[in-house]
Amino acid sequence: MSVQIPKTLEDFPNSAPRWVGRGVPRVEDPHLVTGRTEFIDNVVLPGMLHAAILRSPVAHARIVSIDINEAEKLPGVIAVVTSDDARRWSHPEPTVPEEWGTHCLAGDKVRYVGEPVAAVAAVNRYVAEDAIELIAVDYESLEAVVDPVKAMEPGSPLVIEEKGTNVMLQRVFTWGNVDGAFGDADRVFTEKFRWHRLGANPLETFGVIAQWDPVDESLTLRASVQSATHFGLGRAAVLGLPSNKVRVIAHPHGGSFGGKGGTRGTDVTALLTRKAGGRPVKWIEDRAEYLTGGGGQAWDRHYEVSLAVKNDGRVTGLDVKLLDDMGATGEGFGAISTAKPLASFTGPYAIPVARYDLTIVATNKLPQSPYRGMGPPPHNCVLEQMMDIAARDLDIDPAEFRRTNFIPKDSFPYTIASGNEYDSGDYEAVLDKALALADYGKLRERRDQARAEGRCVGISVVSAIEPGVFDWNAYAIVGVQGTGVPEGATVSIDIMGKISVRVGFALEGQGQYTLATQLVADYFNVGFEDITVVCLDTHSAPPAFGPGGSRLGVALTGAVLGACGKLRLKLAKVAAGLFQMDPEQVDLVDGKLVAKGVAGVEMPMAQVVGTMLARSDLLPPDVDPRPEATHVWTAPGRTEVDEEGRAKSYLTAAQAVHVVMLEVDPETGLVEILEYCVVDDCGTRLNPATVEGQTEGSIAQGVGAALLEEYVYDEQGQILTSSFMDYLLPTVYEVPATKKGIVVTPSPFTPLGAKGCGEGAMHTTPAAILSAINDALAPMGARATEVPASPNRLWTLIRAAQQPAAGE
Amino acid sequence: MKPARFDYAAPDTLGEAVSLLERHADDDVMILAGGQSLVPLLNMRMARPELLVDLNRIAELQYIREDGEWLAIGAMTRKRAVEESDLVRRRQPALLAATRLVGHPQIRNRGTVGGSMAHADPAAEYPALALVLGAELRVVGPGGERSIAADEFFKGYLMTAMEPVEILTEVRVPILAPGTGWSFVEVARRHGDFALGGAAATVRLDASGSFSEVRIVLFGVSGAAVRLGGVEERLVGQRPGDALFREAGATASEGLEEPLSDVHASAEYRRNLAGVLTIRALGEAVARAGGREPGQEERR
Repeated sequence: MSVQIPKTLEDFPNSAPRWVGRGVPRVEDPHLVTGRTEFIDNVVLPGMLHAAILRSPVAHARIVSIDINEAEKLPGVIAVVTSDDARRWSHPEPTVPEEWGTHCLAGDKVRYVGEPVAAVAAVNRYVAEDAIELIAVDYESLEAVVDPVKAMEPGSPLVIEEKGTNVMLQRVFTWGNVDGAFGDADRVFTEKFRWHRLGANPLETFGVIAQWDPVDESLTLRASVQSATHFGLGRAAVLGLPSNKVRVIAHPHGGSFGGKGGTRGTDVTALLTRKAGGRPVKWIEDRAEYLTGGGGQAWDRHYEVSLAVKNDGRVTGLDVKLLDDMGATGEGFGAISTAKPLASFTGPYAIPVARYDLTIVATNKLPQSPYRGMGPPPHNCVLEQMMDIAARDLDIDPAEFRRTNFIPKDSFPYTIASGNEYDSGDYEAVLDKALALADYGKLRERRDQARAEGRCVGISVVSAIEPGVFDWNAYAIVGVQGTGVPEGATVSIDIMGKISVRVGFALEGQGQYTLATQLVADYFNVGFEDITVVCLDTHSAPPAFGPGGSRLGVALTGAVLGACGKLRLKLAKVAAGLFQMDPEQVDLVDGKLVAKGVAGVEMPMAQVVGTMLARSDLLPPDVDPRPEATHVWTAPGRTEVDEEGRAKSYLTAAQAVHVVMLEVDPETGLVEILEYCVVDDCGTRLNPATVEGQTEGSIAQGVGAALLEEYVYDEQGQILTSSFMDYLLPTVYEVPATKKGIVVTPSPFTPLGAKGCGEGAMHTTPAAILSAINDALAPMGARATEVPASPNRLWTLIRAAQQPAAGE
Repeated sequence: MKPARFDYAAPDTLGEAVSLLERHADDDVMILAGGQSLVPLLNMRMARPELLVDLNRIAELQYIREDGEWLAIGAMTRKRAVEESDLVRRRQPALLAATRLVGHPQIRNRGTVGGSMAHADPAAEYPALALVLGAELRVVGPGGERSIAADEFFKGYLMTAMEPVEILTEVRVPILAPGTGWSFVEVARRHGDFALGGAAATVRLDASGSFSEVRIVLFGVSGAAVRLGGVEERLVGQRPGDALFREAGATASEGLEEPLSDVHASAEYRRNLAGVLTIRALGEAVARAGGREPGQEERR
């Protein structure tokens, strides 16, 4: 009998489930709010040293010499490493696209400000930082490659000479008869957009304690790492170690959002512990290191987008040309953000054909990393601007224009032009609910009244898809291999009837341990206090990726319920032996093993387990006396990519509509958000409180993206935003209070019908804010096409619109 | 991000602090008040003193008192104490308004009145407030105590008239005279940030409703907070009105010397802002001088 994973809560062996689908208090929180969570910087090991990394102060230079003598002589310094050690003990960093990597410590030259050049392990961080000041590096300046357009020109200086070009990838993907669609269009709209570099900024930066074992030549890494298995495999490859000689112990961490890469710093720390003879070395990335040399930079994009439209309002073609400035190497895996838009290229719209002209270029900037949403947020932002441009030109209300183009609810599963399949949705219902929640008619009246008073007020109605449950095949076009991302969980019941759930990922903030607890509690009809969730290290965990790509809620549900199902069968078999019945006649119901149709023949689950572990004399001969089961879940129905990059990739497609009203101060360019309404459909909500938290946080990050956040490099490749004084995150004052509504269209493809929702509103908020700004600017004939829409940028646009003659 | 090595002294009295500074007159000494600017500078190793003299234990420098026509505020008084002071609320509402614009509550819990003045950041609220109100700053050094008018105290970007061996002990702010209108406005990218630009103004109107006294200060737009003496002179004797304010704004904008340019705003933007803020500050101050509270009909 194969294991059954419940499709709905009714399939649970529980007549009155109490936990799943409710906004229950999170099991993670008592430790967090009392400061008892074991973050990596709290961990102290005997004999532990502290690392500091010397980083390049220049964007592009040849390293003539490095002198570490003075640093080595400083009392308290135990080890100093340079590129000599990196070459002896490591390989170039793995990258996407492949073979765009360098060693973890710069050798012949430095390629970006913040690149590690040397590192010190000392008795404390103060001494380590003193020591790196004593390292003398002689740089011979090279011309920096900063502008990605110039970087593609013949004769441009090269970031990695051996490659012979700065172009990391250039390819056009055509899905359907795009030229035909544009030829047949009544109107074609084209606009250029610039999305400036921004990225993840978790509360906690990256941190690691590396410990080399010189006896069996193995490495243990305790780290604030998001995906321990893949992190460990990558480190083994870089450090030239067998994969089973690198053990990763993932620690709870304060968020990631894609920024918890930490790979290069970990490799440097691994060199230090090895050179220090196996003393553990701790490296805590400080915020300046994070901002200039960490995993916090993503999406540095130049877009040119065209839309083919019929006079009746149907969009018949989309043509997106993207130039992405990836930075110096591919080590941050930022290029996957250029691939993910294929999973939702045409958004929630039935646009039949599309083209993607993609160019990725290397420059002397920090390599890009992933960021919440992984690429679609800028893509959605420019698509939604084009939708508004078309609607405005056709004089169709933006909400109705979108309604006209929505994928109809009776056409799911729906395969989009770029090949992914959307599982389900009811986009008009979401739109209608959002318009009602916002009182759209009144909102427009308020806007028009404000305009009559001379104020600059705008409204937006935008929609976007959140692809959920990522798959490696979604990134095939940039060279990532594989289909399916397994996630495993082990559910185990001890002799006292207490339950452990063992997983392969650490706490990151999204409440997944609570989710596992909810599922198990309802499955076995026990209380939260009977369950504990444990993170295993990479030597003992089942196959796992952990959080990422809006996947873990769905994947973990599959893994946990699969394991519960296997355990249910096992317990039934034992109970059947005790009842002297056939296993098919026994089942788990409300936490008891009961004989079907035979009143009074039943046994509490704990008693069955106790029998397994303590009464071997009563067990049937072929029973494995282990009251535990492991299940590894993989998304069903995924396919290999075709020659145009098309595949069934992300399993689910959540959808949202945001309605925003805001005001621009034309004298200062400042934006004030007046109303923010969001309605979303991410299928079944396993823990509505968690989903709401994701939405709130994601809107905050979307506000940051739209208005505030930007990494600025000057013409020499010097970064000008190396602290939170200059890289501006939104605070509680900038993030609007929101009105929220929900629509639930369960996914037919997932356990319990949940869809990925972790990245959430980030997909929609930047688009919604920029659209509302453009509605506000429309009466004066101005259009904002740069993100973030800073006061300086908006004021410049407004002034140019108000004084059209002055500049001409 | 750890500071370079330094010696540390934390005297309990002002007298001890003064003699410490005298003894170390030839050393590179820095004074720690609330630490909201200095501690990051230390951690980034942009400040590397040999000796750090911490004033936080000197209780005698923490007070807010009414002293005749003045509010006398001890240099180590936390901004939060100013914000919560009933005396300040009643006697000098402009000081309260400026204080609320300084950073966030966490910053105001530590940051001190004297620290802001002595640091003289061009975008900080307190130096601008001192200039517009005509505050006096009392300093003490080996040679004894002296009082410096705000107009003389601020010398440019992060520069004051204090000698390295002197300690700022008290900030004396005039109590707001009845009939005086005031304004303190700023534009920042986020609530609590250093301003892209700000303006402070006080005005008095005579019986005919014309300006009898005007003081206007701009901050954050150039290398130091600056009084607009020329604009002030041209306004005196005139009747307030939108056209006049616009003219004053244009003069402020055109007259702005070396506007700052950084990642947040260009020099051009700040030049425009100087005019916009001058107009807004005058409008608010005149409204208050007329006994009206500005802003109800107007948007922020």
